[in-house]
Amino acid sequence: MDLVYTPEQQDFRAEVRAWMEANVPKEPLVTLEREDGYHQHVEWERKLASGNWGMVTWPEAYGGRGLDLIQWLIFEEEYYRAGAPLRVNQNGIFLLGPTVMEFGTDEQKARFLTPMAKGEVIWAQAWSEPNAGSDMAAITSKAIRDGDHYVITGQKTWSSRASFADWGFGLFRTDPESKRHKGLSFILFDLNAPGVTRRPIRQLHGDPGFAELFFDEVRVPVENRIAGEGEGWNVAMATAGFERGLMLRSPARFQAAAERLVKLFRQHEAKTAPAAREQVMQAWMDAQAYAYNTYAVASKIMAGGHIGAEASLNKIFWSELDRAAHRTAMQLLGASAELRHLDGGALNMWLEGYIFSLSGPIYAGSNEIQRNIIAERLLGLPR
Amino acid sequence: MDFTITEDQATLTQGVRDYLAGVHTPELLRALDASDSRRSDAVWQGLTEMGLPGLLVPEAQDGLGLSLLDAVLIAAELGRAGVAEPLADTALVAAPLLAKAGGQDALLAAIAAGKAKVALQHPVNPWVADLDGASHILSVKDEALLLADHGGTAELLDSVDPLRRLYAPVAPTGTEVGSADTLLDHAALIASAQLVGIADAMLEQATDYAKNRSQFGQPIGSFQAIKHHLATAVVKIEFAKPVIQRAAVALQKNAASASVHVSHAKIAAADAAWAMSETAIQTHGAMGYTYEVDLHFWMKRAWALSSAWGDRAFHLARIDAAVIGGALPIGPGHSFA
Ligand SMILES: Cc1cc2nc3c(=O)[nH]c(=O)nc-3n(C[C@H](O)[C@H](O)[C@H](O)COP(=O)(O)OP(=O)(O)OC[C@H]3O[C@@H](n4cnc5c(N)ncnc54)[C@H](O)[C@@H]3O)c2cc1C
Repeated sequence: MDLVYTPEQQDFRAEVRAWMEANVPKEPLVTLEREDGYHQHVEWERKLASGNWGMVTWPEAYGGRGLDLIQWLIFEEEYYRAGAPLRVNQNGIFLLGPTVMEFGTDEQKARFLTPMAKGEVIWAQAWSEPNAGSDMAAITSKAIRDGDHYVITGQKTWSSRASFADWGFGLFRTDPESKRHKGLSFILFDLNAPGVTRRPIRQLHGDPGFAELFFDEVRVPVENRIAGEGEGWNVAMATAGFERGLMLRSPARFQAAAERLVKLFRQHEAKTAPAAREQVMQAWMDAQAYAYNTYAVASKIMAGGHIGAEASLNKIFWSELDRAAHRTAMQLLGASAELRHLDGGALNMWLEGYIFSLSGPIYAGSNEIQRNIIAERLLGLPR
Repeated sequence: MDFTITEDQATLTQGVRDYLAGVHTPELLRALDASDSRRSDAVWQGLTEMGLPGLLVPEAQDGLGLSLLDAVLIAAELGRAGVAEPLADTALVAAPLLAKAGGQDALLAAIAAGKAKVALQHPVNPWVADLDGASHILSVKDEALLLADHGGTAELLDSVDPLRRLYAPVAPTGTEVGSADTLLDHAALIASAQLVGIADAMLEQATDYAKNRSQFGQPIGSFQAIKHHLATAVVKIEFAKPVIQRAAVALQKNAASASVHVSHAKIAAADAAWAMSETAIQTHGAMGYTYEVDLHFWMKRAWALSSAWGDRAFHLARIDAAVIGGALPIGPGHSFA
């Protein structure tokens, strides 16, 4: 164990910091859940790509920098320190990207990864269906082979970014006779293809952050399938592993929130409830603990290890700490908490953040499902 | 930057775990509980033969010269096995302090040989553990840490933990070997590490029980309420561990921020162990409420160590001063500040 950054790592930090300081928009962007904000965030992705910061861990051949996970953590720290915008291509770069790298053909890597890193194609994830939420193996949307195409029919829902995004990746039943985890395939599709209808859904905050997708005989070339026909479940589980495991939520995000919370507390100190002080400290402690743990997991992976069911521990920890930190902020704000804009007209980011934090324990596998996984796979309790 | 333990550290830890699992069994705990002294020369002898008292004694005094990171890994194993002998206090707290102070070669060599035991007295605790049987005592006067020889008997206080031996504090005396704070930080760090080991032991007991006890025709561990209670406890335990390791590294390096990280470790570990103790008793049902089931040894140690070496209020106050007070840089990029 050596908890000191090397001179190279410090230089790297300085390089990221300088670029962020020069390029991060001075004014906050409009929320990416709205069409105007979405396009602002796409512009930002392209700006990042112009500095070659799209996805630093990816190989240079696909628009990355070939850096390691510690450097990724440093990048993320500087990213959040600078208050840079949220990543509208989150689903692409953190979920689909690693999946294509692991399971895709060379042709697929070239076709999908580079435009993703450049922010040219924004991706939506389309797994959930009205009757397949936590129970994802209940998926019924079909992709039936017809020559060198699949013909997709069915419905997906809760697809983040799909109101405005370019492409989607989803799980479809390629064997119509199959049941549960078998007979599913992982297929990428153009959201503008004929037969795809998007119905934006307003989220808790009122903006269309996700969408329902209807597929009416949508023709998708077979070469858009990742890995073998019928192997979709395993590919999706690997993707879910990336999502829960390491990259979905970098610790810097919560450290930044804890830092802001401490500042908020100092402003409101005179009129806070006795418990608030402790909750603020807990937010700092938990954000730090999450950071140490992430550095530990990153170090382990770099040393050749991998992350398994432990990913479920992470998902519970960050989503619950995030909700608690934002709840604390809401309580510190008192009667102002409900105002959508605070003094000077700025958006009440604590309220927006609290609303979003309520979804953390639901998406990416609900925390109840994660607790089942921990109990059954880590502790070996009977199903 | 590398947040992993080495293969040597993993091997040593596993070796200690295996050794203790073989000799330091629940039967032994019950036998100690039935004995007058609650201590066993044979156990101490065995720990000495394993080389454990000398882990942090410098190599020049026949120790292994290991670091506080090794110490927290071993302390967790002592907690897991419910070790009652004052090994942690002497070998994992006093030895590194004395090595740092310098000029204590003879005592360090005696510690490594298993011949000296050092009791730790600090105003933060209203008691001294294992004063009887100690050959030396570290105590605090006006912020200074004093070392003195010790002999004779003292007044025994009654702890809920049947294997703890607590005594009323004595008048501090001796030669100065450091500061009161360093004793507190080292001891709080080692208590934290023991606490996660204790929590792991309770988790294992509760999990085993949940697999084997049946009601309604099925193992109670198949009920989701039990699963989720246990899973929640695992999250707390696993996220306390890196905090402890990070604090150990900070203290080893005498980082200015070390005491904040120790306090964080103590709170995280105590919260995890305390929550685990309640989950474990709930999982056991009435069995957990008996003196016959092993669980109580660990549960009571968890209560004791949670408030020893600074209770929650004490450690929160130190975090408060640093984090809300503003002395510690916080936010992204300051993970290792
Ligand atoms: C903000 C947000 C963004 C999302 N983005 C996407 C996306 O981009 N793509 C996508 O495909 N999906 C997305 N989702 C959907 C998400 O994956 C699902 O909401 C999630 O899997 C839960 O499914 P559900 O909503 O149908 O809830 P349900 O499965 O109906 O669950 C309802 C409640 O029952 C509990 N429950 C269900 N089964 C069990 C069980 N076995 N044991 C214990 N409790 C159980 C759940 O934990 C939950 O509390 C998103 C959701 C949100 C909130």
